[in-house]
Amino acid sequence: MQLLTPLALTLAALAIPIILLYMLKLRRKQVSVSSTFLWQKLLREQQANAPWQKLKRNLLLILQLIILAALVFALARPALQVPVVASGSVIVLLDASASMNATDVNPTRFESGRDSVLDLINGLSPASSLTLILVAEKPQTLIAAETDKPLLRQALDNAQATQGVADWKSAFALAAGAGNNSTIVIVSDGGLPESGLPSLPGEVRFIPIGESQNNIAITALALRPAQTSPQLFAEISNYDSTDRNVLLSIYFNDQLIDARQLSLSANSHGSLTIDNLSNASGIYKATITIPNSLNSLNPPNSQSSLNSLDSLPLDNTAFAVFQASTSRRVLLVSKGNLFLEQLLASLPGIQPFRALPAADGTIQIPNDPFDLYIFDGIIPPELPNANLLLVNPLSNPFFEVGGVYNEFQNMQVNQHALTNFVDWSAVHILQAKLVETPPWAETLIESDAGPLVFAGETNGQRVAALTFDLKESDLPLQIAYPILFSNLINYLAPPSAFDATQSLTPGESLSILPQSNVDRIVVASPSNQAYTLSLDQPTFTQTDELGYYAVNFISGDSNHVEYFAVNLFDENESNIQPRETIQIGRATIAPTVSQQIGQRELWTWLAALALLVLMIEWQVFHRRAFPSPFGRGLG
Amino acid sequence: MLFDETTLRKLNQLTLLASRVRSGAMKGERRSSRRGSSVEFADYRNYTPGDDLRRLDWNIYARLERPFIKLLEEEEDLAVHILIDGSQSMNWGEGDENKFQYALRVAAGLGAITLASGDVLTIGLLQHGKVTAEFGPSRGQASLTRLFRFLERIEPDGETDLNRAMRDYSILPRRAGLVILISDLFANDGYEAGLRQLMGRGHEAALVHVLAPDELDPPLAGDIQLVDIETNQTQDVSLDGGLRERYRTRARAWIQSTQTECRKHNIRYLDVVTSQTWDHVLLLEMRRAGFVK
Repeated sequence: MQLLTPLALTLAALAIPIILLYMLKLRRKQVSVSSTFLWQKLLREQQANAPWQKLKRNLLLILQLIILAALVFALARPALQVPVVASGSVIVLLDASASMNATDVNPTRFESGRDSVLDLINGLSPASSLTLILVAEKPQTLIAAETDKPLLRQALDNAQATQGVADWKSAFALAAGAGNNSTIVIVSDGGLPESGLPSLPGEVRFIPIGESQNNIAITALALRPAQTSPQLFAEISNYDSTDRNVLLSIYFNDQLIDARQLSLSANSHGSLTIDNLSNASGIYKATITIPNSLNSLNPPNSQSSLNSLDSLPLDNTAFAVFQASTSRRVLLVSKGNLFLEQLLASLPGIQPFRALPAADGTIQIPNDPFDLYIFDGIIPPELPNANLLLVNPLSNPFFEVGGVYNEFQNMQVNQHALTNFVDWSAVHILQAKLVETPPWAETLIESDAGPLVFAGETNGQRVAALTFDLKESDLPLQIAYPILFSNLINYLAPPSAFDATQSLTPGESLSILPQSNVDRIVVASPSNQAYTLSLDQPTFTQTDELGYYAVNFISGDSNHVEYFAVNLFDENESNIQPRETIQIGRATIAPTVSQQIGQRELWTWLAALALLVLMIEWQVFHRRAFPSPFGRGLG
Repeated sequence: MLFDETTLRKLNQLTLLASRVRSGAMKGERRSSRRGSSVEFADYRNYTPGDDLRRLDWNIYARLERPFIKLLEEEEDLAVHILIDGSQSMNWGEGDENKFQYALRVAAGLGAITLASGDVLTIGLLQHGKVTAEFGPSRGQASLTRLFRFLERIEPDGETDLNRAMRDYSILPRRAGLVILISDLFANDGYEAGLRQLMGRGHEAALVHVLAPDELDPPLAGDIQLVDIETNQTQDVSLDGGLRERYRTRARAWIQSTQTECRKHNIRYLDVVTSQTWDHVLLLEMRRAGFVK
């Protein structure tokens, strides 16, 4: 034990005024009595056990001196020398990756790590400073070179484990920047990358966390389009050292569609594919459960044994999103139109199909759904219930087509999102059909005689029409042609805002390409937290949670929702086996035993003792002074 | 007035009791010791059972058919000496609970009884170690007013020295009789020597011990300095619940030991707390303690 501020002991001299005051203090209240006769007798008797009485009479003084002693001693800051992992300038890298959520250490590995850091903080000598870096997807310095223990403890309290993958490289860069000649303490279960880590300036120590390696994880879940229907691929990994039987359940939009039992030998992977899934868009969820009945347990059905089977529940659920069409399928029904075929083949994100009328003029429209149907000079008896582009149309359920006209005066382009950058000034048209713009549509381009191009939405169906035959105009030769058709096709068959086929890993950002008519983008996280994105740079970065996210594209009253999934799928995190050593550069770091001398200060206990004695003193004083509320004094 | 009419009438029916020094029993001896004093009629009083039948006035009995005892001066009356402790410590207590006032009332009561039963009454006020005021010897109901006036006049003062004061009282030649000391007994030198001296002179002694309630259970607490109102001596005490309880125990033990001591020396003893009503004490407690009948 040593005193950090021994000078404070001089305050013990305050005992002198206390004793002096005590001697002077007893200006007792004078109370007259008829006679002190009996009192004198009584007090004479008391002399018999005088030492005890004297002590009792001076009890308050003694208590006050004890309080003073405790306070002075507390101010002198006595400290016990305790062995600690590090002292001096210390940088702590606290692993907050997904594997730190494992429950093999009660309550979790992260809490255990937090306790280790707390011990380190408590044992810091007064001259030591500590920097705390939380290693997550985006490592951050929680507190830098701080000596104040309450602040350090507060910063440590604010640290939380994440569900993502730790970015050790960035964390090492932060640590290297935090200071030279520091002792760097890595508190982790050891899931560090085995290579590629920069070396650290200063001595590195390692506090390993974790006891068990029992974990079964879904390490892959992916959908791929097969010939007729999508196919689901799942990979399950058993990181345990014993064989396990697991039950894999597959849900589609929260409805169980398949459940399979898998036998996984120790430290192995198992995979399966599921075919014949629905073509509809939706969310696939896979969960694994480890039923007791399938695994020999002793004793069965106990919570602890369940925990011991799978210490990390985070990676037992995975999601995959199926977006029905990633490239837009467009069916062109035409007797043959080179201009349109060339255009569709050249537009990006378009998968064009062509249907020719049979020799007898009948049209066979394929049963497969398409995102857009283009009818060029043909109208089938029954129009598909999808978005339509009608070129050189005949009469149809949407509008009536009249005769032909060839007088084109005052052709003009109306201001509209679909006519952006469309220059119509050099376009010549031989003849067009006389059509009246339906009330649900907007005229985009018109002449005095009638509309040339119009578009609109009716009953949830988007329809656009060109009232003339492309072959009877020079539009396909103009720059306006690809611009106008690109705009129209993007309107009629909107491209997906992002690629949801691949799931993201936690912390990965997602770029979103919204439609031009979208007003707002709101992303709802798995925990139902809403994030509104700016339309200028719609990039979503808050992908820290595992699960599926809903991206809402809001334009006016309509709301279009697309989904994407965030899964762990990281072998380093799912393999929770505690590592004995970690490899940094060429150095192998073994677990550190406490070998340096730290100081544990005791002043808080002394202050608590002083407070306790103060309360006792108060009680003693009160019992002595006010046993009953009466008393006659001379004043 | 110290007493109202009803109380006075009740007091008149009482007689002070003396076991040794009493008229019948001491008659022969007393006569021989007081040569020349004649047998002289003094008064009549009601017959009480146990009276010497020879002293019944048969003539009166024949005339009135009621028995009267003929009181003959000197030989048959009882000399009653009431000694009141007049020290400052007796001046304690508020209103009716004031010990000195209480002592005066008891003295007045006992005096009234004495005079009513035809005994000779002497009252002495003990102050500063001597007798500072004296009433009597007087006899007969007629002296009652004078007695009251005397009692109303005297004031408590000075320190107690009961022994010296009683010795002072016994120096003068007085008729042996019943000595009743009314005191709080707050005297450092005690009272026993004085009483014993009086008893040596042939007196029979009785003690009325007057205490105020807060002397038995003082409502005090904390670190205080007690000031004796009699001697102005101070005494520092740190009073807590324990010490207070010990004081109460000590006070009770003191009364108990005084009582035992008195019984041992054939002194009649009555302890009175001034919270008791004085007529209750006079009419009931004193009768119970054998002071009066």
